[in-house]
Parts: sequence; structure tokens; C-alpha cells
Amino acid sequence: MWAYFKLEFFQFMRNKKNIAIYVILLFFSCYFAIKIAPTYNPIEKVEVNEIEARYETREEFLNNVVINDGTHHLTRYAAAIFPEWNEYDKQRLDAINQNNLKEYAEATYKWYAYSDNMIFYRGGGVLYYNPGYYTFGNNYATMDGHFGYLYNASRYEGYTEVNSDLTINIFEERTALQTLQRLLNSYLPLILIVSCILFTVDIVLKDRRNPTLLQGLPLSDWRKLMVKGFVSLLGSVLAIIPLSVGLLIIGVQNGFGDFGLPVPIYIADDIFSNRMMWEYLIQNMLLIIFWFSLIISLVLLASVTLKNEFANLFVASVLVLAELMYFNRGIGAIKDFHWYPTSYVQVGQITSGYRNYLYASEALTFGSGLAIIGLCTCMFLFFTFLLSNRRKFKLL
Amino acid sequence: MIELQRIGVQFTGRDILKEVTVTFMPGEIIGLVAPNGTGKSTLMNVIMNYINPSSGKVILNQELQYTTKKNEVKIRQLVSMMPDQSDLYNQISGKEHLKIYSSMWHSNPKLIDQTIKELGMESYIHKNTGTYSLGMRQRLCFAMQIVSDTQVMLMDEVMNGLDPTHVELISQILVKKKSEGKTVIVASHLLENLEKYADRIFFMKNGELIHVNDISPGFEEREITTLRIKELTDHLKEKISNEFPETNVKSLRNGSTLIDVRGYDSKKLGNVVEFLKVNEITEFSFGKVTLNDLYSMYYQEG
Repeated sequence: MWAYFKLEFFQFMRNKKNIAIYVILLFFSCYFAIKIAPTYNPIEKVEVNEIEARYETREEFLNNVVINDGTHHLTRYAAAIFPEWNEYDKQRLDAINQNNLKEYAEATYKWYAYSDNMIFYRGGGVLYYNPGYYTFGNNYATMDGHFGYLYNASRYEGYTEVNSDLTINIFEERTALQTLQRLLNSYLPLILIVSCILFTVDIVLKDRRNPTLLQGLPLSDWRKLMVKGFVSLLGSVLAIIPLSVGLLIIGVQNGFGDFGLPVPIYIADDIFSNRMMWEYLIQNMLLIIFWFSLIISLVLLASVTLKNEFANLFVASVLVLAELMYFNRGIGAIKDFHWYPTSYVQVGQITSGYRNYLYASEALTFGSGLAIIGLCTCMFLFFTFLLSNRRKFKLL
Repeated sequence: MIELQRIGVQFTGRDILKEVTVTFMPGEIIGLVAPNGTGKSTLMNVIMNYINPSSGKVILNQELQYTTKKNEVKIRQLVSMMPDQSDLYNQISGKEHLKIYSSMWHSNPKLIDQTIKELGMESYIHKNTGTYSLGMRQRLCFAMQIVSDTQVMLMDEVMNGLDPTHVELISQILVKKKSEGKTVIVASHLLENLEKYADRIFFMKNGELIHVNDISPGFEEREITTLRIKELTDHLKEKISNEFPETNVKSLRNGSTLIDVRGYDSKKLGNVVEFLKVNEITEFSFGKVTLNDLYSMYYQEG
């Protein structure tokens, strides 16, 4: 079996298509690090001028406002809520001017918590989140702002509790590890899963080019398939290497961050809980590996039944893209889409709980993802096992 | 020992193999001879279970059959088939190929260097096979099967693309494998060469496996059975038939004429020579029917 593994792994690494995938990943990773990452413009930035302008405007209002019987109710309201709000802004300004980032984090956490409370629950449609949330065509800007403010409140609260050296880059989530965290919440899992599909589509059918060399090997078809699957899994995990080059570049530019940094996880009902960065990354890695296994087991099954690379590509692509057919914001409250493995394809958003927020569900968790994807993988492998053990089955 | 019992294979309603029953013993070289497309490769593919026969079974060592996938693996540990040279991995070296086969069959790693030396492959074995000539590739495929060191070895067109020196070299190795107790089944078109080392030779026609002894009794015996005349006119043929009426005269498509002299004593053979001399026929020889002759008679005469 070891000899067959070496043979398969060697072929995998010499496969021109696979080499091309690694090279493309390396190119994307470097391009992202050099061109895209430096232009990252977070909605929630550490912007002293903005804080100062807001503080001074409100302070001036508070100093000059006259409250009497004829005062408009919104003026009264502003006069009631601005003092505490401004207090937090003042603390933030003082902390940043003294370069006391721990205190800045403390004040900012309170500022976000207070702001969200005021805007979302007591805003009455006259208070708004950061304008960055209100983009063209975004019908859920308030919900996004609500999530963003709670996320940041939780994050800054986490910074007050960790021993890491805080920097502005950490606050703006620009460090290498935080960039990775952000990417896991967007396209990175899809890129890795698509790479896995491309690595696997021909892993069985390529042997049709060398039938007499491989047909007679003293190894059962099932074992051959398992070795092929394992090689594909290993090759897919190795795709991390070219991607990590980009992270190294970002690390040199903006710092690497810290594995102890907090990552806010949305639990339910506007509650967030912080997890350490290393924990979050391991969970993501685990769920991505489960996704790789699911894709590989499906492609192996398709390879022994459909025996066509394009059919493999189609079947695997359907699995990855199926969520687009049914996903709508809030739909989890109506339908139990958490039973579908396809609902877990946005790996980073599953582990951070953001997907639950979008689905209005509490069931799309890391644990349920592992269970459902694991179960589907076992089912595909079981069918492949049954097929490959039929007496008349031929792998090639 | 490998037994084929009533093997039948049909493709699109046509019988490729018809009720083939035969046993191949250890320490035996079997030759399979037939024109292309008559079922030699199919027979080997059935032995390897690459093709499921429509009837019959293959039995190895009186116990193992292709009844389960587990048995298939057990049989494949004992039976191997020479790979086709077009299937080699062009990006890796010959030595890597040999290592792969040796490790897959867990054979003695010393066999690798020994085989390389025996086949004179030292000068190119470390180069990628993409740079090999047809003959070099063919030798590598043969070497791969040798290092797999299985009990039964199937070789389809093993001598393809080889020069006479290497044909001889491989023939010697086959004889050595036979002496080690291996069963070697060789399909070849090099009939003279096959005749030298094969213990039993089978023709294939209409899906049947026919032992050459059944076509030409005494083929494998060492006695004078045939007078071969290179070129003979029809007039002389008739004259011979008249002179020796009990003799069977057969003309082959390659121009040769065979005269059956089985059972002739020295005096009678002398009379034949005298007759040829009188009729000024100088190019003739006594011997036995060759495999080439049999092949011509069997396939070309319809």
C-alpha cells in the first residue's frame, strides 16, 4: 500500500494540471498580498479625526443646547444620550493621544456596545451606523451595521483581556492572521474547495492512460481508491503552502498578529463570544478538511460510476454551488436548511457564526457542519466500497 | 499451476474464445501463436481478469478463482502480465519503474540491479523513459515483469521491436525463469525463436486453442518427417506424386513445398534424393515441419 501511495503521490505532484493549480494559487496569493491587501479599507477604522469631529460637534451641541418645554423631542433625546456617548469618545481620544491602546480598546468596546444599543434599539430611525454599511443595493445595511457593531464591541472587549501587544493594524484587522481570518469569511474556503475539485477530478480516470501498467497491481480497487483519495486530500491540504506565501508578505508589511487574538463568534440573539485565533483557525482547517473529504468521496464515487472527468467536475461543482439556489437572508427561520451539507460551504462564516446570523438560524454550527459533512462523506464512501467490491467491477 | 476451464468470451455476438480448457504447469513455457485479432490478448486478459468471461473459470494452484475481489488480489500477487511499452510513464526513469514494480510485489530488491545487468540496460536506466527507443522501452517492460517475480508470467508480443541480440537475451532469461519453476505464457510472432524455447505451442483459431501436436502429430519429436524444397514447378510436383504415390505433397504460400517423408527408411530417403538429383533440384533439406510451416499451412491455406 505504501508503494502505491508513493506512486500516486509522485504522479500527483508531477501532474501538469496540479502544478498549474499550485502556481496559480501562488500567483493569486502574492497578487493579493502586494496589490489588494494594502488597499483594504475597513468600515471600522481607527480614525482620530473622525472621532474628534464627532466629539466636538456633540460637545458643542451639549454645551449650547437649552432644554425647555418647547424643545423638540429629538433634541431632548440627543441631549440625553450624547453625554455618555461623548464620554466614550473622549476616553478613546485621550487613550489614542497617550498611545494607550489597552485603554483605547476598553473605551472602544463600550462605545460600540453603547452605539449599537442606541442605534438599533433606541434609534427610532433617526440614528445610523457607520455610512460604510449603507452601500448601493444593500437592503440589509442596518442588520449589517448591527452585526458589525456587536462584532467590534466583542472584539475590542477581547483586546482588553489578552496579553498581546496591541497595534493599530490589529485594531483594523490588517495583520497576517487577521487577514487570513477575514479571507476565511469570504472566498478562501471556496478557492480551496475548488482547488480540491480540480485536483481530484482525474485522480482515478488518469489511469486510463497507462492501463496495462496499473491494472494488474496486487491491490484491491477499494484500496487503490482510498490511496488516491488520501493523496488528493494531502495535495489539497498542501495548497496552503503557496497561499501562505502571501500571508508571509502581509506579515512583513503589517505584522503577523497573534494566535491569542480574539475572534468574535456570533452565538445567537445578538450574543457574541470570543474565541482565540488559534482555536478559530483550527476549527476552520478541520471543517475545510471535512469539505475536502466530502468532495473527494463524491468525486471517487462519480469516477467509478460516470467515468468521465467533466461529469466529475459537474457533480462536484453542483455540490459547491447548490447553496446559491436556495439561500435567502433569514430563510433559516422558515426552512431547515441546516440539514443540507451544501449550507456549510462558507466555512469561515459557519465557524464565526455569521452564517447563522444571515440564515436567522442557530443550527448552522461548527459541530453540526462536521457531523453532516462527515455523514455524507461516509455515505459516499460506503457506496463506493459496495461498487468497488462487486465481483465484476473494473476500475479501468 | 493455472487452469482454464471452459472459458468462453463473446464480443458483439461473436465468439472470441470458445470453451477453452487447458492447464499450464509450473516450469513450462507456453507459446501462443495466431494472427492478430484472433484472441491471444483476450485469453491473457481473461487470465488476468481484465475481461470477465461469459462462461468458464480460471483456477490458480487448484484453489484460487476470481470469485471475490480478495481472491483477485491474491491471484494478482502470483500472476502478472507484461505492461505495454506505450503505457510507461515518460517523465520518470526506467529504474523508478522497476522500483515501483518490485515494491508493489514485495520482491527481492536485488532483482532490480540483476535484471538491469542481464538486459544490458545500465547506460540508460536512469534516464526518463520518454527518451527511450521502442526496443529500450520493450526491454524495460520485460524487466518490470521479471522484477515482479510472480509465479505465472504472461507476455504479449514480448519480442516486439527488439534486435536479434536482445531477442536471444530475453529468450535465455525466459529459459532461466522456466528453470526456476515459473509458468511463462508468451504470445509471439517470432515463430522460429518461440520454437526454440517453448515447451508447448498453441495456435488459436475460431476461438479455440489448438495444440500444434494435434495439427501435426510428432511436431515436438526429434525425427526426420519432412523434405522441404524451396521452389518446385507444378510439373515436378506431379512427377513426385507419380513417383511416390503414398507421399503427401503440400505447397505453401511462401513458395516452399513440403513432402511428408514420415516413416521413410534410409533406402527410401535415398531414392527421393536420387529423384531430386535426376530432376536437377538442388535446393532442398530434410528435417521436421517448422512452426513457420505449420503456421503457413494452418492459417494461410485456410
